[in-house]
Amino acid sequence: MTTRSVVDRAIGGGALALAALAPLIFSDYWVGALLTQTLFLGIVASSLIFLSAYGGMVSLAQVALYGIAGFVLGNVVTNGNTKGLNLGWNPWLAVVLAIAVTVLVAVLFGLLASRSVGIYFLMITLTFGVIANLFFGQVTTFSGFGGISGIPAPHPIGPVDEHPNRLYYVALVMSVLVYALLRYVVRTPFGLTLQGVRDDPVRMASLGYNVVLHRTLAFAFAAVVAALAGVLFVWWNGHIDPASIDLSAMIDVLVIAVIGGLYRLEGAWLGAFVFVMLNNYSRQIDFVGPRFHTLIGLVFLAIVLVSPAGLAGIWERAQGALGLGGGAAPQPATAAEAPTRDADV
Amino acid sequence: MSRLWGRGWKLALPILGVGLVAAMAAASTFAASATPIKVAVLSDCEGAFGAFDGQDLAGVVSAMSEYAGAKPVNPNDPRKGWTGGSIGGHPVKLVGIGCSNDRADTAIKETKRLMEQLGADVMIGPLSGDESIAVANYAKQHPTKTFVDGSAGAQDTTLKVQAPNFYRFNGDGAQWNAGLGDLAHNKLGWKTAAVVADDYSFAWTSAAGFIAEFCAVGGKVTKRVFPPLNTTDYSSYAQQMPTDVDGTFVAVGGAGLIPFLKAYEQAHGPIDGKKFIGNLFWGTPGQFEQLSARVAGAYAGGAGTAGDLATKEAQKYSKRVIGKWFKTIPPFGAAAPQASSTFTFGYFINTWGLIKGLQAVKGDISGGQKKLQKVLGKVSLQTGYGPIKLDKNRQGIIPVYYQQLYTKNGKLAVKTVGYIPNVDQTFGGTFSSKTPPPGRTFPPCVKRSLPWVGKTQHPKVIP
Repeated sequence: MTTRSVVDRAIGGGALALAALAPLIFSDYWVGALLTQTLFLGIVASSLIFLSAYGGMVSLAQVALYGIAGFVLGNVVTNGNTKGLNLGWNPWLAVVLAIAVTVLVAVLFGLLASRSVGIYFLMITLTFGVIANLFFGQVTTFSGFGGISGIPAPHPIGPVDEHPNRLYYVALVMSVLVYALLRYVVRTPFGLTLQGVRDDPVRMASLGYNVVLHRTLAFAFAAVVAALAGVLFVWWNGHIDPASIDLSAMIDVLVIAVIGGLYRLEGAWLGAFVFVMLNNYSRQIDFVGPRFHTLIGLVFLAIVLVSPAGLAGIWERAQGALGLGGGAAPQPATAAEAPTRDADV
Repeated sequence: MSRLWGRGWKLALPILGVGLVAAMAAASTFAASATPIKVAVLSDCEGAFGAFDGQDLAGVVSAMSEYAGAKPVNPNDPRKGWTGGSIGGHPVKLVGIGCSNDRADTAIKETKRLMEQLGADVMIGPLSGDESIAVANYAKQHPTKTFVDGSAGAQDTTLKVQAPNFYRFNGDGAQWNAGLGDLAHNKLGWKTAAVVADDYSFAWTSAAGFIAEFCAVGGKVTKRVFPPLNTTDYSSYAQQMPTDVDGTFVAVGGAGLIPFLKAYEQAHGPIDGKKFIGNLFWGTPGQFEQLSARVAGAYAGGAGTAGDLATKEAQKYSKRVIGKWFKTIPPFGAAAPQASSTFTFGYFINTWGLIKGLQAVKGDISGGQKKLQKVLGKVSLQTGYGPIKLDKNRQGIIPVYYQQLYTKNGKLAVKTVGYIPNVDQTFGGTFSSKTPPPGRTFPPCVKRSLPWVGKTQHPKVIP
């Protein structure tokens, strides 16, 4: 084990320990609102980073997929509301249905999008995101402009307002599991093939691999991760509406991934933390107030200029400077060119 | 001497003890009375209604200044909030002003920040329909906090959600349009009408008020068109509007109204004011001036307000309440003429109602605010435009006015022409907690009897 990986693991372990002890250290608002939000936004951003770093696919549809899971859940668990289907289902059954529907939609989206690459893939997934947003905005049977309110988290996780730590720990465990799962998957034959498809799809096709199928499966797999984040989101928010998955929300997740680092899974949670903190605290500054998107845009620009590999890249550079075996951060995945780095392989 | 000293001690000790106990009691009383009441305000500073942010906050700050001894920080910038102010010895502290954008998702996030991070005890807001439904649902899950509406007028907020700690002294969109159906059918002679409304809860409620009454008196609504809120290009929706009807009811509001009218003119030629009735946005100070003379002759639904009402109370509210605490309200200019805006008045009366409730319990919000919540439901207001009391769902029963647009010295002006007292949310029995919520197809067009039809009063106004 290199010095660098020891340091990495020590920091990771420390962060996890801090996260586990957060309810003892931080205020209820920090835990129940800011850190929980960080965790589920990190999960959805990790699905984007997985696709980008290991599949060469920068997807803007992850928010739509997370929203589909949220809307399905909201429609089937609520009862007595004026909006939505009001089916009043068992909440756990609803979670299964929400993930299943999301994956089904992702397979359809994936089949269409996976034949394209680079900027075209980005645009097609952006279109999917817009379609989902308009669908839920227009189809009042499932949502309409006002969305669905009063969505409860199931016992024993909820009521969230009475037990904010429970949802936080669920989100933390889900984050750890998602991270471990993604790390595992990229080491499996499927993950290695996906990286081959990312690096040279023509060669992989000539070797007999079904490039489209692999991309579609990766897209569907990332949808499972996004759907989990969607479920956590509606449990946390108790409400979902088309604005939860609008263009601004899509850009937010992309910004989180870029700020954190588009090629390292850890960057997802790092970027989400920075995003959530800026979003929360900048609103209290008179001058910034409603101009949060201007502020986050400036941070985004600064990160891209200073460290194209995001905050994770800055850390790697620092390691290099300290002689811990790190080096200059490699270029992150771009829409036009897939990343060439597979540090975790 | 020493014996005397010893006796002195014996005498002094009990006195000291009693004094200490008294001092501690006084200190604890002082500490209790000094507990601040933390107030948050949720407004829209972005989105379709972002332009009315100043009016919202002017309403809140004016009420705090008029009834709770506060003072605006800046008489030209309501968003700066207030200083001072107390109720029952408890300082009234503004902990934060939320900035929403007509989206329920944003309203919930801002509400969480205000209530959970900044620790507000009570919240005033939000501005618009779907935001208020989401906030009312949030209120239901937080029974130890108290919420009063800002100016939102979706019906579901109180009739369906029925959060026991959410109070609304303003009317809903349907209440605000009482009298318009009767006017259209029985005075303007419309037999058929088309309706265009933003595709969200408030505009559905607003359209529901017109449709229910117009159909109740025998009219037929032949077409309903619902462009999404925040639409910028209305041309395809304008094309859908029929011209073979006697009139059109427009419930497109905020930033969408002018683009819609322009698109309508491009599709169908100049607007004939007499064939149009708009909802409250056609008479809202700050908004109606921009409609220009193209709509002269049209009627406009109100929001329980009538700026030109020739009563002492109405003029006092405008000039010696809003006009006293604020010189200007950005971005529209002089403050007093904006007093009758839905937004200024809505936030004003809801804040006033809250203050009256707090005064009734002497500012005591201990015990999960149960005492405050109990008395708030019984609060009634003698406003500049008439009396308001709450029904069993904590929804205002209000006086309603409607206006007509006309040209005065070449500029568009508004005069109040109709008045209906005591309009309740059931709209004469049309709506209940059992009926479907207003939407694209509800209410259906059916004939029925409404108590105020044929009884519209014509108030005296200042020319």
